[in-house]
Amino acid sequence: MKDRFNIKKYIFSILCCLGLVVCASAQELRFTTSVSSSAVTVDEPFQIQFMLENGTNIASFTPPSFKDFEVLQGPSQMQGQSIFNGRRSEYFALNYVLQPKHVGSFTIPGAQARVNGNVIKSNPVLIEVRKGNAQAQTPQPSQQQAIPQHRSQGGNGLSEDVSDGVLKKGEDIQEKLRKNIFLKVEVDKTNLYEGDQLTATYKLYTRLPTNSSVTKVPAFKGFSAKDIELPNPPQATEERINGVPFKVFTIRKTLLFPLQSGTLELDPVEVDNQVRLVKLVSNKRSRGGKDPFEEFFNDPAFKDPFFDDFFNRPEVEYQDVPYKIQSNPIKINVKSLPVDGRPSSFNGAVGHFKMTATVDKKSLSTDDALTLKINISGQGNVNLLNSPKVDIPSGFEKYDPKVTDDIEKNSNPLTGSRQFEYVLMPQEAGQHTIPAIEFSYFDPVANSYKTLRSEPFVIDITQGKRIRQDKHDFGVGKNELVKIDGGIYKWTQNRQWLIVSPWFYVLLLLPLLIAAALIYYKHRKDYNTTNAALLKHRYANKVALKRLELAARYLKEGKDKAFYEETSRAVWGYLSHKLKIPFADLSKQLIQDKLAARHINGTNTSDLFELIDNCEVALYAPGSGNDRMQGTYSKAVIIITNLEDALKN
Amino acid sequence: MSIHKNIKAVFFLLAVVLMGSIAQAQQAIPQQRFDAANSLYQQSKFTDAAAAYQQLIDEGFELKPLYYNAGNAYYKAGKTGEAVYNYEKALQLAPGDETIKHNLALANQKVSGYVDELPLVFFQQWWQQLQLLHKPNGWAAGCIVLFWLVIAGIMLNRFLPGWKNKFLRWGNYALGTLFALYLIMAIDTYAVANDHQSGIIIQGNTKVKSAPDDNSKDAFEVQEGMKVHISDATKDFCKISLADGKTGWVSCGLIKRL
Repeated sequence: MKDRFNIKKYIFSILCCLGLVVCASAQELRFTTSVSSSAVTVDEPFQIQFMLENGTNIASFTPPSFKDFEVLQGPSQMQGQSIFNGRRSEYFALNYVLQPKHVGSFTIPGAQARVNGNVIKSNPVLIEVRKGNAQAQTPQPSQQQAIPQHRSQGGNGLSEDVSDGVLKKGEDIQEKLRKNIFLKVEVDKTNLYEGDQLTATYKLYTRLPTNSSVTKVPAFKGFSAKDIELPNPPQATEERINGVPFKVFTIRKTLLFPLQSGTLELDPVEVDNQVRLVKLVSNKRSRGGKDPFEEFFNDPAFKDPFFDDFFNRPEVEYQDVPYKIQSNPIKINVKSLPVDGRPSSFNGAVGHFKMTATVDKKSLSTDDALTLKINISGQGNVNLLNSPKVDIPSGFEKYDPKVTDDIEKNSNPLTGSRQFEYVLMPQEAGQHTIPAIEFSYFDPVANSYKTLRSEPFVIDITQGKRIRQDKHDFGVGKNELVKIDGGIYKWTQNRQWLIVSPWFYVLLLLPLLIAAALIYYKHRKDYNTTNAALLKHRYANKVALKRLELAARYLKEGKDKAFYEETSRAVWGYLSHKLKIPFADLSKQLIQDKLAARHINGTNTSDLFELIDNCEVALYAPGSGNDRMQGTYSKAVIIITNLEDALKN
Repeated sequence: MSIHKNIKAVFFLLAVVLMGSIAQAQQAIPQQRFDAANSLYQQSKFTDAAAAYQQLIDEGFELKPLYYNAGNAYYKAGKTGEAVYNYEKALQLAPGDETIKHNLALANQKVSGYVDELPLVFFQQWWQQLQLLHKPNGWAAGCIVLFWLVIAGIMLNRFLPGWKNKFLRWGNYALGTLFALYLIMAIDTYAVANDHQSGIIIQGNTKVKSAPDDNSKDAFEVQEGMKVHISDATKDFCKISLADGKTGWVSCGLIKRL
């Protein structure tokens, strides 16, 4: 009996191997889009995967636009080989975690890839977005397309100890399922610092032959997650719970880095199982405590027609029972990092790190470029590291760093390195110092901050051959500086403001002073001249009378010529002074005009002219009597007195 | 011994005199220092070139190309605040210079949050153009000359009866008007050049406070190179207003007044 069974086992494995070879040779190119859930609520994230299987020579890979969705995570790339259902395939996949923005049904178009020169497209996916109702989420088991690495094929290799798929008579199916299939989440810690690593393992425990698929994967809100690749198909391990052996399948193992402090919850995972139970029909032949064939009931080979034929016995009946299970949500308490002693260069790194910083050359010309590499390696949230602050001196042009990751696959805790590569273009000749680069991290083991520091770099820069000739071009987008002025100039220090210097005011006042002086002088002169005339005018009478007195003396002495001369002079002088006529200009006509202008007419004027005539006649024809002289004298006195009166008003 | 000492003293004196004369010679030829700074710039030693220009500026030389070149050197050396300051100074000496405007615009591109000032209204532009007709001292000198002419005209009109005619009188009126214009221009150019009510922020990421007090809360942040108007000042703090209307208080030491 035992021997025969062994032979069967051999035949079975040979057949399996054959099948595998056949499958492997028939590799076909497949490009598929799969989503973790095609019906979601508004604030429920889901995963979308574009998987290209068996594609060699991938030239481009363009994901579609997710215009109605928000990309929470991704794209994350996956690449590798998988053996799935005995089929070996090479795959390349892009994963996104999306969150819908609105309610409705949306079609996400397929991704495009160019493989071996041909453009291929993956299938579009219809996503139905329902109104958000976070509590009442009911996953839709139908249409589920489990992501291959998460699919566990229960029952594949259950050993005989665990195979308990026989439903005994009178046994309650639900009770049996509950006892024998359950999910468990294991976390290595529930109390940790922000940024520290946490490993969550989702496990399926089973004692029954099942065909399971994961219908809902946790979203890990508030965490940065990194999955550990699990063997595909899943390898079962054995674990004993209360002395009962269970087959354990690891559904998901994820490294989690909390991004915020507080109490965070790990969402449950949901698994749909199809449990194949075996019923023994009553009229079967009696079996011993242990049926040697029972182990085969759990075998996939069961379905094989060859075995079917062999074992198809009337007393055995199968029943496929659907059974949906859910793990318990787990609460994680995340502490925020201590504020005390936090270095200024701290940038969120938690773990244990080493840093190296190197420059590729110490001396170069301005034509050349310099590369500064900062490599941070160690354990911790390597995938979340930010570039340490780099103070590049102003003589360099700095570009955004190129970031390269080298993370060890499936390392736990996450181990690897991240490299920041800065390209620096020297702008200025001379010696420049790049200050020491500082990197700080929080060590959760030591519970303290640690700071790493590189050496400062001294860089010698020489002038390159290429002297940049800035052009005069004011066109739009011409971002070149116009070159410097190099002419010869007049160098005057401290510009003097003429307007605030005293000279300005002196020079403004000077013409005013000159003008004032001129005006004063003119005024003085005018005053003097007018004053003299005035005096003469005022004293004309007295002068005339004095002259007449002299004339009276000549009259007594009988000097007629002198008498007439003096009288004439008295009258003329009087007129000259009184009428302000220069002596030389005196004429009878002018006097007449002047007197007429003053409205002095009649006897006075005629007497005056008569007197003047008399005097003239007497002067040029002497020999007149004393009486006449006396008359002339008295006449002259009267006329002057009369004129004085007339001219006064 | 004493002779030795004397010789030493003489040598020392000679050295001092020599050094002094060299120093004086250096002082005396700013053009050569300017050229040296230019060649430093050409060799891409921008920081050194900027320092050399700055020395000339500090000595009181006020020249458009000097400020302009200093602006370029500071720009290349990455000191946006100083670059903007020097370009603005150059622009004050030569308003409307397209080259300066171009480079200033480039420097302002590095100032994040920079808001363009409103362009001048056409008559303001005319006024500015008119001001460019003479140098500030030219307006003052013209003022004096015109005043002399006006006074001379008045004197002629008054004292020489033979000169008295309406042409001279109208000429005098015209000269008087011109004199008034020149005087206003001279005063205005002086006022504009000595208006220190605006400045450039010379330190990056300066916090602007809501009150003139170190402990008051931050209102906003200004970037290096931002042009600000100073509307009020206490001993340590200056009240600034930005082109977009924001106001706040900043330590006066962070502003370089134009």
